[in-house]
Amino acid sequence: MQISSEEIIFLIGLTSLIFLIAPLFLIIYVVSYNRKKKKHQEEKLLLQKTFENELLKTQIEVQEQTLKTIAYDLHDNIGQLLSITSITLSSIDLTNKDKSAEKLAFVEDLTMRSVKEVKALSRLLHGEELVNRGLAAAIEFELEWLQRSDKFTINLDKQNFVAFGGDNSKETIIFRLFQEIINNIIQHAKATEIFITLAQIENSFKLTIRDNGQGFDVDEALRKRSGMGLHNIVKRATMIGGTTSIHSTPGSGSEIVVNIPY
Amino acid sequence: MMFITINTVCEFICFLAALIFLSNDKEPAWKLFKAYLLLTCITEVAGIYMSHVAHISNYQLYNVFLLFECGVTSYIFYYLYKPYKHKLNWLVTWYCIFIAMYITELFINHFKSFVSTTATIMSVVFVFASLYYYYLKLMDENFERLILSAPFWWVSGALFFYFGSTTCNIFFDYLAKSKPITYGHSIRYFIFNLLDIILYAFWSYAFLCRYLRRKSFS
Repeated sequence: MQISSEEIIFLIGLTSLIFLIAPLFLIIYVVSYNRKKKKHQEEKLLLQKTFENELLKTQIEVQEQTLKTIAYDLHDNIGQLLSITSITLSSIDLTNKDKSAEKLAFVEDLTMRSVKEVKALSRLLHGEELVNRGLAAAIEFELEWLQRSDKFTINLDKQNFVAFGGDNSKETIIFRLFQEIINNIIQHAKATEIFITLAQIENSFKLTIRDNGQGFDVDEALRKRSGMGLHNIVKRATMIGGTTSIHSTPGSGSEIVVNIPY
Repeated sequence: MMFITINTVCEFICFLAALIFLSNDKEPAWKLFKAYLLLTCITEVAGIYMSHVAHISNYQLYNVFLLFECGVTSYIFYYLYKPYKHKLNWLVTWYCIFIAMYITELFINHFKSFVSTTATIMSVVFVFASLYYYYLKLMDENFERLILSAPFWWVSGALFFYFGSTTCNIFFDYLAKSKPITYGHSIRYFIFNLLDIILYAFWSYAFLCRYLRRKSFS
């Protein structure tokens, strides 16, 4: 079968037309993909902003926690010591020299203890900056303070931990996660022993906090979205690319494991 | 009157657009368009003169113009690839290949016809160059408003022109001998008119984008 010249010309015209339509669709594709890229960039920016806001919130919460501890300490320790000092001083009878000497010695002891408490408080005030000195140092300091209450036996294991490899903002958030978990134990767990493990596994940081308290129903606690703030812990860990696993059964303590990649 | 054709009008309008919108442009690549489009207009007018007035073949003129077309277009592509860290070696290699093909075809044809095979290969290379530019844009993480991007519209115009002309280039010899389809013109004439309108419209818009960008930065 022979093709006529008209047919060939028609085919050439048709092919050229198709060859013109193809770039048109290509341009539409590139432009629409570019729009998606813009949307993606905006979303990324929003995510970055959310992260910054959350970081700021975390920093404020760390500060608030410090101030709360200071307030409790001023009221429960230093306040009490100074009250006793004041009462002891006012009860001194200068005519009874033996008793006075004994009371003065007691006042001296009280004053020394007050000075010690004030010094510890001063360290706590600087503690806000502890996160900058390293995650382990900040956690240790927090635990040291907790141990003073004698309510808990604390076991810290950091054999497999040298230094946190991530950035500062991540460290602040992890430190806050640690504080939140400890607060939960203090407020709800009725525990006597707390086990903390800091470890580096390949390119991630693993924080394990376990207690021997009364335990709780994890599903219910997460569903309630209130009280223990477990949801907040999970959300913040996810925000920095980490995972949280919570294991607990009523009556047999609880364990929270936070895994954060660098 | 014979000098006023769709082609010449499009080229002249585009040249005027380049003259107005690229007058204070500092980039040598964009500045080059004024000279290149002037040369295009002159070539087109000279081509019509040789064909319709002097009644001599104008293929030698277009053979020479092809050198400028390849030189300028390739250089612009190289300039557009520059932000993506492309080396000069590629441009030089392409120039060498093109010259080798061009001279070989001239010798094969005994300098008696248009170097259509070289022009076809050049068109295909420019189509790939345009597609590669799109690829680079897609891969680029930085967002750029393409609606106002001069390089994007320049490349789009080039893609339309070189992709659309591929069929005509492949059947160049056949179309040169074929009968006119209507008003004494061949299908090739109509296709190239359409391609020229698209090309120069896109390029004029690209120059406008370039002008708007310069204005917004000054």
